[in-house]
Amino acid sequence: MFVTSFLISLIMSKTNNFVFKSLLIVAWIIFVGLCIEAGGLIVNFLFNMFKPEFVPNLYQGLDLTQVYEDSKRAFFSIYSFILIISILKAYLFYIVVRLMHKMDLSNPFNDFVARQISQLSYYTLSIGFLSYLGRHSVKNLMHPGFDLGSLNHFWADSQAFILMGAVIYIIAVIFKKGVAIQTENELTV
Amino acid sequence: MAIIVNLDVMMATRKMSLNELSEKVDITLSNLSILKTGKAKAVRFSTLEAICCALDCQPGDILEFKPEV
Repeated sequence: MFVTSFLISLIMSKTNNFVFKSLLIVAWIIFVGLCIEAGGLIVNFLFNMFKPEFVPNLYQGLDLTQVYEDSKRAFFSIYSFILIISILKAYLFYIVVRLMHKMDLSNPFNDFVARQISQLSYYTLSIGFLSYLGRHSVKNLMHPGFDLGSLNHFWADSQAFILMGAVIYIIAVIFKKGVAIQTENELTV
Repeated sequence: MAIIVNLDVMMATRKMSLNELSEKVDITLSNLSILKTGKAKAVRFSTLEAICCALDCQPGDILEFKPEV
């Protein structure tokens, strides 16, 4: 929900440059953090393929040894879900940072911004649905007695992402209408 | 578009350049150029009135309807 209010304030703050710049810095910090997480998970994934002894010591103390011993296929399925979600989150914030850098606050209604906001909605919805799918797949694949708590960090907020994606989609549709109205206005003599 | 703007024809008839017309009607050259080249999506009545005053003509002299086939 923080990300929802963050994006809404990004669009609404047309004249407050200080807030805009602060949000840009926060976006960069989050983006770098997500890149580090995604990078760590990618490195772990590659290590696990060639050196299985590293399975107990995954990124952020994640231990999927039990799953690995039960079924390698299940282990790699779960890990793929986690990896794809983290990469999508990093790319989502890359789009946010790129949008904030290229957006002109004095003239925001253009095709580029409309496209970026649409992309934000698609990626946010994708993250939400993948997180939801991942969480429910894990419940079915899991060895009875396995503690799912350690995986919650990666997909606990699936519903929030779906809600945010829906809200951003509505904003994208309204923004596209705004761009159409602006274009028509510019061509009205 | 089915609406044709014959502004250049009227300007030639009245021997007026785009710059002169722009000063008389108080519309920027770029907007007049948009109108002249047929790229305009809409024209305000106030603009049409100003152009007709400046060129001493009727709206029908500037605007023509040719249905698209």
